[in-house]
Amino acid sequence: MRPAHPTRRSFRVAVERLGAAGGYLWSGWGSVASICLFLAAWDVAAGHLGELILPRPQDALVRLQGLLTEGQAWPEIAITARRALAGFALSVGIGSLLGLLAGLSVTASMTARPLVTLLVGMPPIAWLILALLWFGAGDGTPVFTVFIACFPIIFVGAMQGTRTLDGQLRELARMFRLPPWMRLTDVILPHVVSYLFPAWISALGMSWKIVVMAELLSTEDGIGAALAVSRSHLDTAASMAWIVALVSSLLAIEYLLLEPLKRHVESWREFASSRS
Amino acid sequence: MLNHPPPPPRLGHSLLPALWICPFRPFFLATALSALVGMALWLAVLAGWLPAPDTPGGPVLLHAHEMIFGFAAASIAGFLLTAVVEFTGCPPIGRPALRLLALIWLAGRLGWACSGVVGLIPAATADLGFMGLLLFHITGPLWRSPQRRHLSFFHSLLALGICHAGFYTTQLRGQDALPWLHLATGMLMILIVVALSRISMRLVNDVLEAQGGMSTPYLARPPRRNLAIFAIGLFSVSEFARTSGSTTGWLALAAAAAVLNLLNDWHVGRALFQRWVFIAYLVYWCMGLGYALIGVGLLGGQPWGSAGRHLLLAGALGLASYIVMVVAGRMHSGWGLDPRPWVPAAALLILLAALARSLAGLPAGSAHHPRLILIAGSLWLLAWGLYLARSFPVLALPRPDGRQGCDDAVTKR
Repeated sequence: MRPAHPTRRSFRVAVERLGAAGGYLWSGWGSVASICLFLAAWDVAAGHLGELILPRPQDALVRLQGLLTEGQAWPEIAITARRALAGFALSVGIGSLLGLLAGLSVTASMTARPLVTLLVGMPPIAWLILALLWFGAGDGTPVFTVFIACFPIIFVGAMQGTRTLDGQLRELARMFRLPPWMRLTDVILPHVVSYLFPAWISALGMSWKIVVMAELLSTEDGIGAALAVSRSHLDTAASMAWIVALVSSLLAIEYLLLEPLKRHVESWREFASSRS
Repeated sequence: MLNHPPPPPRLGHSLLPALWICPFRPFFLATALSALVGMALWLAVLAGWLPAPDTPGGPVLLHAHEMIFGFAAASIAGFLLTAVVEFTGCPPIGRPALRLLALIWLAGRLGWACSGVVGLIPAATADLGFMGLLLFHITGPLWRSPQRRHLSFFHSLLALGICHAGFYTTQLRGQDALPWLHLATGMLMILIVVALSRISMRLVNDVLEAQGGMSTPYLARPPRRNLAIFAIGLFSVSEFARTSGSTTGWLALAAAAAVLNLLNDWHVGRALFQRWVFIAYLVYWCMGLGYALIGVGLLGGQPWGSAGRHLLLAGALGLASYIVMVVAGRMHSGWGLDPRPWVPAAALLILLAALARSLAGLPAGSAHHPRLILIAGSLWLLAWGLYLARSFPVLALPRPDGRQGCDDAVTKR
């Protein structure tokens, strides 16, 4: 049998990938249904509590649309995103690296464990107070608070990933004299990343929550600050609009970026389990 | 063994010699006739060729009632009385009981035709008697079957029967009974989801097997189905209870999304474009779009309810009834699946009828409202006329293999 023409093969691969992407997006209808059910529950609660306490979801959405079209929302979203992602990136970089290193040594893992418990147990609001004293009002406070709150989650994920590496696989790689790069990309990383990714996703969700809290108390711009202003004006619709903007951007990042990446990275598990 | 003499010929025996050998036969015939007669009369009234019938609740209520409890109830009876036998292995309903059921259904239609003169009691007695008797015939086998896996048919039919009883009670009290018909629409959609999940597993997997690729067999996943049933049920109850329009609107959008979520099961590659599968696939598209229209209309304060509802009833219900009648009707009468082009053509006509009728209720079609309704009705008549012309021999004449009953034909493609 003659092999398929390269152009035809790449076309087929492109079609398959497009189909997979379409399938992934279509699978989102279940989530859309859940969100609509939640919005209906919100609407019922709004009907009982009144507009001042809880506006209806469509009022919040209309307000958000207004904020977006008037151009008020984008700069605030960009500032918040910059701070959240900066803190998140720091914790991903430092937390993953230190966690991987700690996982290589039993002694380091043992020593790190109580420290991680301490960091996890420390409430973010306490870190925020300290950060305010150290960095003052500005980008430093929210970025640091996000970093320090996300760090232990990522550290633990990376450490567990390294600790649970299959020794037999490593031995096999050594016996076959796999080059170091191949050993890293084909043996170590797929396993470690399967632990790291869930940790990164949890940390990302946390970073968005914490950055808003930090902004609310420490800065004059960003979504958190806008929330503080709308609260002081008793403008509940605007508050809900900002919250919707925050949650929507988080959902978009998680489901349009991180989840497809996670599936791609973890596809080897499915492949392995279908062969076993 | 003694040879019994042939039974004496009955009235209509020569015209319909095999009408009663399987339960779906009289009811599928009644469905097609009801679709044709009901729509033809409705169009004649709308066009002014006939005076508006002097029935309780007015002509719109009559039209809605007859499409749901005349047309749809006949197809449901035909489907359930045949499918329950196949699902549970119980013996089929006897011919006298079948004749009685069909007669009561017909009495209900005649009762409505004369309701302007004799009132609604005769129609109510016949229609509720029909529902009760149908429930009686399917409950025993469903209840006795191991694990009671198909009991959801009983629940759906019971809910539909309660809606019907509520409709008559409200109407007889002189109150607005239309909300009961809206609730019944929701129960019908749930029944379609329940029924199509069973039918589609066979349809799609048969096609996949015929195409030689069963690496990923089709499975109608219960969690997705349950979410769709839950969302449709919640929307229907909210609409019936007249809760805030926006709450009901969000629930309609939830129902739309949950129904579109069901299509994830159907994306199985080339098999999807096989006619039997694709027509059933379109049922969910109509249902999803129908609920989406209702939801967006409610949230935006637009009167799009009728447009959405016609996508549900003319589109989803029309296509679901059609595909069941075309597939089950042919298979259980020994003819095998029909490969001729009229099958997709009639499905296309039903789809276009639903779209045209839906468009008539939207701002884009409001300028051509009467014309679009006439076009929609004509397309509907053409589709069901085509079905009746092609399927009359299948429903009324003896099986080609000379056997009696509802046994499957050997599948031929």
